[in-house]
Amino acid sequence: MTDEELDPLIHVPTRLRIVATLAALPDGDALSFTRLQDMIGLTPGNLIIHLRKLEEAGYVASEKTRNGTAPKTTVTLTGHGRSALRRYTQALRGLLGGLDSNGSDIGADGDHIGL
Amino acid sequence: MNNPPDISQALDDNDGPLDPRQAAALLEQATQHARRTFRPPSPQLWAFRAVFVLVAFGGFWLSVRGRQNPYSGPSGWSLLVTFALVAVNIAWTTAELRRAGAGVSGPAQRKRNAFIGVMLVVWVVAYAATAPLYHAGPSQPAWALYPASAPLMVIGLAGAAIAAALHYWRLTVITAALGLVAVVAGFGGPVGVWLIMGIGLCAVSLGAAAFAAWQRHQKVIAP
Repeated sequence: MTDEELDPLIHVPTRLRIVATLAALPDGDALSFTRLQDMIGLTPGNLIIHLRKLEEAGYVASEKTRNGTAPKTTVTLTGHGRSALRRYTQALRGLLGGLDSNGSDIGADGDHIGL
Repeated sequence: MNNPPDISQALDDNDGPLDPRQAAALLEQATQHARRTFRPPSPQLWAFRAVFVLVAFGGFWLSVRGRQNPYSGPSGWSLLVTFALVAVNIAWTTAELRRAGAGVSGPAQRKRNAFIGVMLVVWVVAYAATAPLYHAGPSQPAWALYPASAPLMVIGLAGAAIAAALHYWRLTVITAALGLVAVVAGFGGPVGVWLIMGIGLCAVSLGAAAFAAWQRHQKVIAP
């Protein structure tokens, strides 16, 4: 297995962090742009550039809504994006010699409701 | 805690391709950070709850043990301590829920809010039922046992049924264990019920804390 098998769209520090962060949410849930920006620690411009690349590949979907006068953008990891991250993780395990290891799935099971 | 080294800052300045080891470390770091953010309650909150139930129910047990004839229930000081701990628990839980839900929207978030709403109603109804019971002047065993175990029996079993219907499996186990402890504690009699509740709920909370800690630190790329 070689580095080339790692998805080049995800294999960039900032985009890897974006995808891993969104993957921790339950399937179908979205995160606001400002919260994502806060968690990743990027400027809005930088985050937009990376999100656009991921959106063009169909890995994330964004939605703009209006909450009163303020516009609000939310970002979701698509099923395609989740699959890509799963493949990327498997490829990494293979590269690091742990193909049959029992690493956990990144995705949330939605069973963390806070009570 | 055995967190991966913080390599994100060094990589941010040069957002080029990654060495696989750096990528694995970054993936672990981002995933664990997101899990800590989005998945309440924290192990620390569960550990606090373990202490809380042990102190509260243990205090009730100490206050009713061997001194009450006829039985008059837990003393004022033990109720005061419990109310203070309940207030801390509510404040801590609310803060974690707010942090986890900030900026998050979608079907799972709505389902979670609906579950929390239903469980709040169950809590209020289960404890509110003690007021008419007191008003009716129940027999001594009924008044001694009902407030100690019945509300948590109802909350635990109803919670388990609702959580199972929503496929919240971790919560199903926790709430069923809570209900089971309440059922078993009822056999302890008017005094022993408080001690069994305290020890049983403490054990359930510690188990939940250990599970939450294990889940949060589970490796994405196993060593």
